[in-house]
Amino acid sequence: MNIDIKKQTRVIKENLFSSPVSTLLTFITSYIMISFFRGMFGFATAPDKDWLSVLNNMQLYMVQAYPESDFIRIWICVGLGFIFSGLSVGLWETEEKTSLSKLCLTFSKIVSGIIFLTIIAPTNSVVVSTATGIREQVEVFSYAERIPLLSILIGLLVVFFLISKINLSFNKSLLVSIYLFVPIILLWIMKIPTIQLDSENQRVFPDPLMPIANSTKIPWTLIWISFVVAYLVGVYFKNKKQFKNAVSISWVLLPLLIFSWIFKKPLIDLNELIRNDIPVFIGFLLIGVLTIYLINNKIVEKFYSYYLGFLVVVTIASLFLKVILLVKAALLLLLLFSAIIPAVSTSAKGKRSLTIVWIVSLTTTAFLLEGGTSTTQIVVPGSSIFGGFSLTWLLAIFGTYVSFPLGVLLALGRNSSLPIIRGVCTGIIELVRSVPYITWLFFASVTMAVFLPDGVEFNLIVRVLIVTAFFSGAYFAENIRGGLQSIPKGQFEAADAIGMNTVQKTSLIVLPQALRAIVPTLVSSIITSFKDSSLVTIIGLFDFLTIGRMVIGNQSIPINFIGHDRENLLFIAFVYWIFTFTLSRRSMKFEKRLGLGER
Amino acid sequence: MSIIEAKDVKKWFGDFQALKGISMEIQEGEVLVVCGPSGSGKSTFIRCINRLEQHQEGSIIVDGIELTNDIKNIEAIRSEVGMVFQSFNLFPHLTVLQNITLAPTWVRKKSKSDSEQKAMELLERVGIPEQANKFPGQLSGGQQQRVAIARALAMEPKIMLFDEPTSALDPEMIKEVLDVMKELAKSGMTMIVVTHEMGFAKEVADRVMLFDDGLMVEENTPNEFFDNPKNDRTKLFLSQIL
Amino acid sequence: MVKLLSKIGAFFRNVVVLKWAVQFIFLGGLIALIFNYLNIAVGNLANTNIAFSWGFLGETPGVSIAEGLYTLPKSGLQMLQTGMLNMLRITVTGIIAATFFGTILGIARLSNNYIVEKTATSLLEVVRNVPLLVQILFFQALILSLPRLEVYDVGSVLFHASSKGVALSWPNRQDGAWMFMLYFLITLYISNRVYKQRVKLLEEQGRETKPFLWSLSALVILFAVGWYGGYRIVGIIGFVSGFISQGLEVLPGIFYQILLSVVAGYISITSVRKQISSKRSGELQGKYSDDDYFKMIITIVIAIVFIALMFAPVGQGIAKFLVGDEPTFKSDWGLPQFFGGISNALDWSITGAPYELNMAEIEQVGTTKFKKYSTEVGKSLTVGYFATWLGVVIYTAIFISEIVRAGIMAVSKGQSEAGLSLGLRRSSLLRLIVLPQAVRIMLPPMGNQYLNLAKNTSLGIAVGFPEVVAVGQTLYNQEGQTLPVFLIWMIFFSTVSLTLSTIVNYYNRKLKIVER
Ligand SMILES: Nc1ncnc2c1ncn2[C@@H]1O[C@H](COP(=O)(O)OP(=O)(O)O)[C@@H](O)[C@H]1O
Ligand SMILES: [Mg+2]
Repeated sequence: MNIDIKKQTRVIKENLFSSPVSTLLTFITSYIMISFFRGMFGFATAPDKDWLSVLNNMQLYMVQAYPESDFIRIWICVGLGFIFSGLSVGLWETEEKTSLSKLCLTFSKIVSGIIFLTIIAPTNSVVVSTATGIREQVEVFSYAERIPLLSILIGLLVVFFLISKINLSFNKSLLVSIYLFVPIILLWIMKIPTIQLDSENQRVFPDPLMPIANSTKIPWTLIWISFVVAYLVGVYFKNKKQFKNAVSISWVLLPLLIFSWIFKKPLIDLNELIRNDIPVFIGFLLIGVLTIYLINNKIVEKFYSYYLGFLVVVTIASLFLKVILLVKAALLLLLLFSAIIPAVSTSAKGKRSLTIVWIVSLTTTAFLLEGGTSTTQIVVPGSSIFGGFSLTWLLAIFGTYVSFPLGVLLALGRNSSLPIIRGVCTGIIELVRSVPYITWLFFASVTMAVFLPDGVEFNLIVRVLIVTAFFSGAYFAENIRGGLQSIPKGQFEAADAIGMNTVQKTSLIVLPQALRAIVPTLVSSIITSFKDSSLVTIIGLFDFLTIGRMVIGNQSIPINFIGHDRENLLFIAFVYWIFTFTLSRRSMKFEKRLGLGER
Repeated sequence: MSIIEAKDVKKWFGDFQALKGISMEIQEGEVLVVCGPSGSGKSTFIRCINRLEQHQEGSIIVDGIELTNDIKNIEAIRSEVGMVFQSFNLFPHLTVLQNITLAPTWVRKKSKSDSEQKAMELLERVGIPEQANKFPGQLSGGQQQRVAIARALAMEPKIMLFDEPTSALDPEMIKEVLDVMKELAKSGMTMIVVTHEMGFAKEVADRVMLFDDGLMVEENTPNEFFDNPKNDRTKLFLSQIL
Repeated sequence: MVKLLSKIGAFFRNVVVLKWAVQFIFLGGLIALIFNYLNIAVGNLANTNIAFSWGFLGETPGVSIAEGLYTLPKSGLQMLQTGMLNMLRITVTGIIAATFFGTILGIARLSNNYIVEKTATSLLEVVRNVPLLVQILFFQALILSLPRLEVYDVGSVLFHASSKGVALSWPNRQDGAWMFMLYFLITLYISNRVYKQRVKLLEEQGRETKPFLWSLSALVILFAVGWYGGYRIVGIIGFVSGFISQGLEVLPGIFYQILLSVVAGYISITSVRKQISSKRSGELQGKYSDDDYFKMIITIVIAIVFIALMFAPVGQGIAKFLVGDEPTFKSDWGLPQFFGGISNALDWSITGAPYELNMAEIEQVGTTKFKKYSTEVGKSLTVGYFATWLGVVIYTAIFISEIVRAGIMAVSKGQSEAGLSLGLRRSSLLRLIVLPQAVRIMLPPMGNQYLNLAKNTSLGIAVGFPEVVAVGQTLYNQEGQTLPVFLIWMIFFSTVSLTLSTIVNYYNRKLKIVER
């Protein structure tokens, strides 16, 4: 690293002081930035802030009042998420390499930034005394604290400089495990003040220093280990296409599994299971397998279209009749299957793989349905079992989940050549979009009940999910429509010319092309869903934001945190920021890698 | 019996009349070349033959099936008539092989292995079997057009329509496509070709037609058409393009 | 017999028949579905004894509103009006401010200056990735943490901020303000005409006519004349409106009905005729497709429904069926009141300056300890208003900055080089070449952001700002009429969206024409 001073000064001059105006701007902006930082720092460190109100309530933030005895379920959820992430990182890892010196350069940049901030940080902060209402200066960052910190940081800088001399390069994906390793280590060694109560439930002053997250460090460590193992497994199976497909499908099914079986503890009635579900399951299994194997039989083939028509009628009828949910779902699945069977099951190999797919999908459907529709055995005081961060995620993921297919349908309808269908879909999209989300949430919380038949009652969360599906569905539809319109007319004509019908054209030609064009918008929609989910606080659901602003803000037992909502708001903002920022960064990189934009 | 019979075909786009009464007959195995200035209705006419456009007056009968709004007839026609477009219109998200097997498996409901075997034969025939697993975006224009021809042939059509198949190609690629078309013509396929490649017309066409302003102004054998045209409009057209 | 059967078969295989059959089955299913749910709703409402009614619009709600037009509304309608006005207040000022800041930020992000660019980018990354609601709540918390108003604060100030909100010096509207505003619009129009006239002269005669100077001086002179009483000239309009209003009051209700039906009929007939004539060329007549017939039928059906609605008793009956209530709207559509209002606002006996610049004032209410900002002079912004305004403005400005940046980048590559090669300076390059083209690219996404801003104002409910959603919620908590309130929200927001997008589309089209 030999620094060419002349070159550096020239660069600085060009970038900052190229003209009088630029110079002025440099000074003004720097001044604003520095004073903003000093203000924020003073604000955050002022003694009237009680950051323990955040730290002490982590559990409340994450899961609200979920019973501790069932925490294992939540850990399994998180663990599954990490295991699949590890697998995916391993499976789809790129050949991109990064060198140690490059890494050190990044770290030294960060450390230099921190050094700079430490130097300019204010010593004193102005506090309005709550008792007298008079402003007073309080020392918040003394030189006695600052100088040791600075020397540590400079030491780190030197270490990085020395390490960067080592010539070593490694795969970029490995970095992820390293980045995750750091917080795990911190969990074990870092100590922070915590709140301790004495026998009379009085707060003990001064608060003792305790390892951060004492109760969670073992699960987190286990999760980290499984992440690394999953990563290695992923690398090992890198070239297995089936494995990749299985992981992709698992990503889609994972949230369903988590919310129907792991997060809640389904109450399964064995009697019911044996009398109803198992016979239905076996019946459908047989029908499907029979269809697969008989479809190319000369005699059966003739009746195929009647069979399909009959199936359509029965399926539609079942949707309106009172039959058990499993029958409805299985009928729908059978219908979808029967439509594609004749094209796929022409060879023995095709028949075999189709049978496997049929068994797996029927089993999954039955399994998920059973877990999803049965009541839970977990008893949570007050509200539903979803609260805090888990509710926020539930809303964000399921919002996207349900709204996506709806959006596809609406977009297809709006792009259709049939005027009535086009008109209706346009009307729905525009109507839904013209009104703010919050009014739809009010619709869910107070108006929707009016439209439900007697005896049917949905949980507020379910109602919110329904309106969210429509709301984000309408926005999705507009994005997808953009993708649809980007398909040249020639594609439709070519499909017509080889004799495809509308359904085949849509599913084989149009959607695959349109959906590929909207992968980036998919991610940004998830981000929007995630941010928008904070609005449910207004209709009184206990999401992440509600916990911070209402629950903790009014908490007086066992410790009084009343009036400490600014700390909590900042924390909430920070958490939202971390998630959305990393997600959008990831998607940007992913987008570049896919080379979207070029067809 | 003639395989295509068009009588007084008329077609409007809004208040613009693109076809002003076209009548013709084509025999099985015949190769017909259609030329004419841009905007004269050539594309519109041949697109009417496989019902990509609907004619509004007159009648078109293809292989004994009259083109009406009856969905059964439309389906039947579409699988009898193959079409090749000026801009190839290959499906960019599918490989070459998938492009060709798509219609046989989904429309003709053939088995996958059968249609793949057939597709490889066709690729052999158009001379690019080694490109089977590439995506259309990775091929040159001439190769793409040959894939498009193979795709149309995979449906085993009785009639092939070509709408200016070489206009979007560089000169050196034109030949490779024309060679494939010549081979096809010699194998006895009924073809209607909209093109301005006069060499092709002279060599393989049985008849040449000139369209102008929605009307067919001349119909002749190739020799007569080029050497001794009946119509002044034809002379003018030939003088412009030759 | 066989022939007949095959004919029937062919009929059902006809693509046109299939197409419309599918659509009508779809429509029928949809209507059945809607009808089903409406039926359920009617049944449920009957059970709960809260019959669907608009009556609450006329009743006194008995609650007060924190700020706005009517703080003690006498009717539900007044209450909603207050909410709507509050919402529009934020929307209009917010759009202006967000565009301004967004443009500056967007240009800053393109700056060569490292620090400026990085600052703008980090601001973007922070604001964009935090939910707006959290930001608004945070601004509220910040303001609430300011010192309280104290006795020694009482008096006039230029600017003041406290836990009660913010107060600014402000030009306050006087009696003549409405007239002056109208007068000023006319002035703008005149100076624009002057500019065009001078440009035309310049082009015709080829001499320097100084169009900008001329129009500016016209503006200044007219403004000065208007400020010192000249604005009273628009009183003429008020005078005429008064006449119209009186005339309209005399007319019977049936007049309006006939007028509107005639207009509806006329519009539908001309549009059908236009469609017919577009299919004709010379003597040869093109055939109509099924879609053409459908369009014509729909136009006529809409016209018939509209005319039927206009006429009692059919219209009254349908209205009653739709709203479940005796329709309370006047058959004169409020036109006489409208003109009456105009004639009151534009009264030429008003004198005095139209605006008066006032300092903000902090006052003590009576002898109590309660201190507040005066709402009479200066401008006071409540905590809710301030937090909501700041939140939506910053949030929207960030998104606008992205649009501005993308717009300029899209244009500047080739165009800048062309411009530089013509010898333009960088500043004039931006103004003359890049911006006009970039605006064209930027306008549609910008319009979307404006719509988002309008919708985001509804988050004011979380910080106690009484905009239309908050007010509506209070109202249905009082009366239990959730469905009508929801319908009102829907109509109101749709209207605002439609208006905004119409304006944006208008400019969009205007710019596109220039392009040719
Ligand atoms: N979809 C359409 N809508 C309106 N006009 C069309 C359409 N397609 C073609 N036309 C018009 O019909 C005329 C004939 O077009 P076409 O058959 O493509 O001509 P050619 O192929 O001979 O160049 C042209 O004037 C063209 O503008
Ligand atoms: Mg053409």
